[in-house]
Amino acid sequence: MAMVALRRFATLLISPNPTIALRSSEEPVSSGVRCISTQVVRNRMKSVKNIQKITKAMKMVAASKLRAIQTRAENSRGLWQPFTALLGDTPSVDVKKNVIVTISADKGLCGGINSTSVKISRAVHKFNSGPDKENKYVILGEKGKAQLVRDSKKGIELVVTELQKNPLNYTQVSVIADDILKNVEFDALRIVFNKFQSVVSFLPTVSTVLSPEVVEREAESGGKLGDLDLYEVEGAETKSEVLQNLTEFQFSCVMFNAVLENATSEQGARMSAMDSSSRNAGDMLDRLTLTYNRTRQASITTELIEIISGASALEG
Amino acid sequence: MTLNLSVLTPNRIVWDSEVEEIVLSTNSGQIGILSNHAPIATAVDIGILRIRLNDQWLTMALMGGFARIGNNEITVLVNDAEKGSDIDPQEAQQTLEIAEANVKKAEGRRQKIEANLALRRARTRVEAINPIL
Repeated sequence: MAMVALRRFATLLISPNPTIALRSSEEPVSSGVRCISTQVVRNRMKSVKNIQKITKAMKMVAASKLRAIQTRAENSRGLWQPFTALLGDTPSVDVKKNVIVTISADKGLCGGINSTSVKISRAVHKFNSGPDKENKYVILGEKGKAQLVRDSKKGIELVVTELQKNPLNYTQVSVIADDILKNVEFDALRIVFNKFQSVVSFLPTVSTVLSPEVVEREAESGGKLGDLDLYEVEGAETKSEVLQNLTEFQFSCVMFNAVLENATSEQGARMSAMDSSSRNAGDMLDRLTLTYNRTRQASITTELIEIISGASALEG
Repeated sequence: MTLNLSVLTPNRIVWDSEVEEIVLSTNSGQIGILSNHAPIATAVDIGILRIRLNDQWLTMALMGGFARIGNNEITVLVNDAEKGSDIDPQEAQQTLEIAEANVKKAEGRRQKIEANLALRRARTRVEAINPIL
């Protein structure tokens, strides 16, 4: 009780303060009614200038990170392509248990990267839902989690965050991929990420990795993966064993590529977002400087007029 | 007919050009591949890959993965690969010794399996430097 009373008293003490502050800031206005307070404008200019400095620095950071990660993303594309050639990428395959792997960033301020990932994941979810079908989410990245938790909390199976704390490498990603394979039952994994195209364009992409059973079924029925049956499969006791290893390897490689592509897109998006926000800050600063100078000039002019007219009144 | 080989790892492309013949270690033993080989998909073991180019044999240490052969195209997808000539012999030898020591120390099933895998990787790297032809 005492604490509550104290808090109420404290708020009473604090609450009048803003009005006092407001009055004091209005005071200079009363001295020259024709001009808006130059103090307020000056403060605002200072803060805009500071924000501009921050966004510029963030842009530089993003640019240097982008350069480092872009080459790695491009190198990782080499491995993803032959897998697609062998096992195909069949987004239209119709299976019961779908797992949507949403790849997003841990940090914000990077344009629409995260919301695109989430939006596409929702669309994939909707597209694959139906009677006797199961959809689950596996989320990489803080931001995707924050958005998906709101409407589909039940569907989330696994969340991995702070992926980019140390530089991305294959070992780390394959450990996560292993984790997902072990803990989540699936017929098809649909990996949603932003494919990096250029600093200003990112293509939301869905890669599909099928479970070994589905791969075998599709290959035997001569469906979408009919090509696989042309190959003689060797290297282990049974074909399914090979396929199991193959799909696991495929998943970790596709994941690795997807994570790198998304990280590249993130840096690119952050760079352009920060670039445009520092440009906006510049525009704002220009406008404010103009207003500031104009009001300053106006007040000088009025003061001069007052002095001159006062002097002439004395003379006359 | 020319035979094209590409060895890919998640991080980079190790090899991408024409070869005359390769010997690949698969889970069920070594297989030699010449041009016009039948289409085949196979698991690749931790082992050495030997490449014949201009009648000279090159070696490469592969760390497990997959290979797809068909249409005179060989695509080897592996966790990691190193050319024999790029491996530092001293460093590889040291790693082998450490791995051997670890195998002796290892306790429990999981640790033993991991130590054995590490030993095989280390052995492969040493073998890649001094290939037995």
